[in-house]
Amino acid sequence: MNPAIATHSLRKQFGRTVAVDGLNLAVPEGAIYAMVGANGAGKTTIIKMLMNIYPPTAGSAAVLGIDSRKLAGKAFTRIGYVSENQEMPDWMTAGAMLDYYRPFYPTWDRALEQQLVRQFDLPLDRKLKHLSRGMKMKAAFASLLAYRPSLIVLDEPFSGLDPLVRDALIEGLIERAPETTIFLSSHDLAEIETFSSHVGYLEQGRLLFSEEMTVLADRFREVMVTLDSPSPLPENLPPTWLQPQAADCVFRFVHSSFNEQSSPRELAERFPTARDISFDPMPLRSIFLAVAKSGRSRPSTQQGRHSAKGNAA
Amino acid sequence: MKQILHIFAKDARRFWPEILVSLAVTAAFVRFYPNQWRGTEAVALGAGVGAVAGGISHFLANALIVLIPVSWWLLISRVIHGERLIGHTQFWLTRPYEWKKLFAAKMLFLLTFLYLPLFIAQCLLLATAGFHPLAYLPGLLYNLLLITGIFVLPLVALSSVTSSFAKMTLVLLGAALLVAGIAALTTYLPSHTTGSVASPVGDRLSFVIVFCGCGAVVVLQYALRKTLRSWLVLIAIPVLLCTLAIGDPDQALMNRTYPSPASNVTAPVQLQYVPDQMQHVFTDETRDSNELDINIPLRVFGVADGSLVIPEAVKVAIDAPDGSHWDSPWQAINNQRLLSTTSDSNVRFRVARAAYDKYKSMSVALHLTFALTLTKAEATTQVPLPASDFSVPNFGVCTPQSSWLDFPGEFTSINCKAALRQPKLTYVNILWSHSRCFGPQFEPPTRTLGEAWTGSFDNDPAEFGITSVWQIPLYFSNNWEDRRQGSVPGPRRICVGSPITFTQYSVIGRTQFDLILQDFHLPDLAIGDQYLLRMK
Repeated sequence: MNPAIATHSLRKQFGRTVAVDGLNLAVPEGAIYAMVGANGAGKTTIIKMLMNIYPPTAGSAAVLGIDSRKLAGKAFTRIGYVSENQEMPDWMTAGAMLDYYRPFYPTWDRALEQQLVRQFDLPLDRKLKHLSRGMKMKAAFASLLAYRPSLIVLDEPFSGLDPLVRDALIEGLIERAPETTIFLSSHDLAEIETFSSHVGYLEQGRLLFSEEMTVLADRFREVMVTLDSPSPLPENLPPTWLQPQAADCVFRFVHSSFNEQSSPRELAERFPTARDISFDPMPLRSIFLAVAKSGRSRPSTQQGRHSAKGNAA
Repeated sequence: MKQILHIFAKDARRFWPEILVSLAVTAAFVRFYPNQWRGTEAVALGAGVGAVAGGISHFLANALIVLIPVSWWLLISRVIHGERLIGHTQFWLTRPYEWKKLFAAKMLFLLTFLYLPLFIAQCLLLATAGFHPLAYLPGLLYNLLLITGIFVLPLVALSSVTSSFAKMTLVLLGAALLVAGIAALTTYLPSHTTGSVASPVGDRLSFVIVFCGCGAVVVLQYALRKTLRSWLVLIAIPVLLCTLAIGDPDQALMNRTYPSPASNVTAPVQLQYVPDQMQHVFTDETRDSNELDINIPLRVFGVADGSLVIPEAVKVAIDAPDGSHWDSPWQAINNQRLLSTTSDSNVRFRVARAAYDKYKSMSVALHLTFALTLTKAEATTQVPLPASDFSVPNFGVCTPQSSWLDFPGEFTSINCKAALRQPKLTYVNILWSHSRCFGPQFEPPTRTLGEAWTGSFDNDPAEFGITSVWQIPLYFSNNWEDRRQGSVPGPRRICVGSPITFTQYSVIGRTQFDLILQDFHLPDLAIGDQYLLRMK
């Protein structure tokens, strides 16, 4: 199956600033892929390159099999794009905007449009410039979900929205998820954790990892080793053990390549005098924090490893 | 086509106020501009309210000529910026817009709300002036082409590289300041050439550069949205225009346009300098301190009956006994027309002050090469002057003009209207009456001839203009009688019924004519108040 989005050594440079560096990414069809990272990590730049708003400095990207540099016109009948800083035809009413967009899309579903209007409680007779940010975002969502795009690209779509609006939008998205691929960026882990199937982590223009959420959750464990007596931080730890800490008789670290079968045995061999070894699953937020903090201290090691993961995804 | 119409309809709905303003200004133009044709008459006919109303009407007509392009400026900016081409956040960038269709939709908008109203307005003006619009269809379309190149395309190009009306206005103001600055600067620079000739080739090339350059910017922006690249093309346009102005291709082409005559061909005119019998040989200061004007009177003879010889330009060479040499580029000669009846004329040309200072004390050989346009009377129309509008074939529609001092049937000038362009070069003459045309003071018209020239040799079907009707005021010579016996000085009049003759000329050839003045002494420089007196 061809990936909905594939990039190869994608790079974007603004003057001397490298915004995206050597991005290799594959987003499978049907995935809900969340690209996360701090503000300024390069998420928006990647999306703008994918949407042919920015030309890449080097490398290439393909969106629904089309070279991103050639993405224009009819190709956008299969792609829906919403960005937090995207302008809207503010002089139109919400209803006029839907009326205006409708003829552009051969697949526009009028019944679905009406359903979305009801679902989002859209005031069709009000001008977009008079709508709240949440309502505007609902109008934008309605205007892209109504034509059942094969790919939905969202750039920080929930940023600054109240929880009710956010939930309504996520619900609207999830309902259409089976028939589409969704690629979204966010700096808020909590908002994407509940519904994303894949996740990529971007830091300073580099993709630190990219994989399925379930694999990621299985791979990371917070490990706590309780020893007989106080002990210093062991030396020559594997690079997959992140954020190692030793305090009194307790040694903690984040295991980034945990395996249910082999890892307990390996740890028991490594710490033969351990009184107890616990392996706790980690929430996404803790995983990212661990990766982010470790990534900053060992960026090159992480990049090499996670780029490969990105390709594998 | 569906997408084009869809975007067009959206723009028409969105920009109805701008459309309305533009249409209202155009409609007002059609309503009030014809008042200008009878403006002088209206103002002159009476004092008080009538004169004030006439003045306001005249002002309004002139104001509308300016307001129409301003309304276009607003309309073009708003519609192009409706889907602006610079920036990364526009809603339409990630919608299924096809650039060719977007471009076509914008052009359709301009065609509908700019060109069509203008075309209709121009047809209505032609009809109001007494011309049948369909007879001038090629001219009307040609004028629209000129308006496209001179107004519309540059405004569309500027809109396509700016993000808003305000920014576009700033760019326009900046461009205007730049042009004014360059113009001011050139007055302080030493003149690189004393040459200046009519520049049909240069003008056409300039038009092509602006048309193609702005067209390229617009297409580049719509196709690629590479704003920096488009700006570079836009900046290249004035650079090319300056290069063209400096290169002056018409100077280089003068020898081809005006070839040297074959040795066995009789010259169309004879020019002679007879220093002993003639006055007014002088040298004047010019505004450029590095140049001086020299005026040489000439005797004219040898022009065949029915012919007209027009000296268009002159080239000057000075050869000194010491072997040194100075020559000028071609310099334009204005308003010189040599008929078989012309006996005296003059030539005025510029020399570099350094050359003048060098040669003024020497006896030099002055070599004057004239570029002559040879024309022949083609058609003559003579009519008794009617009291109201009358039509002159291939010329236009004319209206006798009177002043408030005149009785009915007395006129002081004639105002004509021509369709889309000036008429062919035309010589018009009338017979002046020395007295009132009616009543006890009436005397039959005397042989005092009033003459006027108008028109050009341009062959284009139209000249650039918002209006399709050109006003051709005919102000005749000898219109003032200052030594009337037993009376105060006053204007001469044209009486209704007196003959008025229109003679149109057409070009039959172009050639050069050499006049060599051996042992010539450059005339002394007029100084101080002599110069000022002459200027007054």
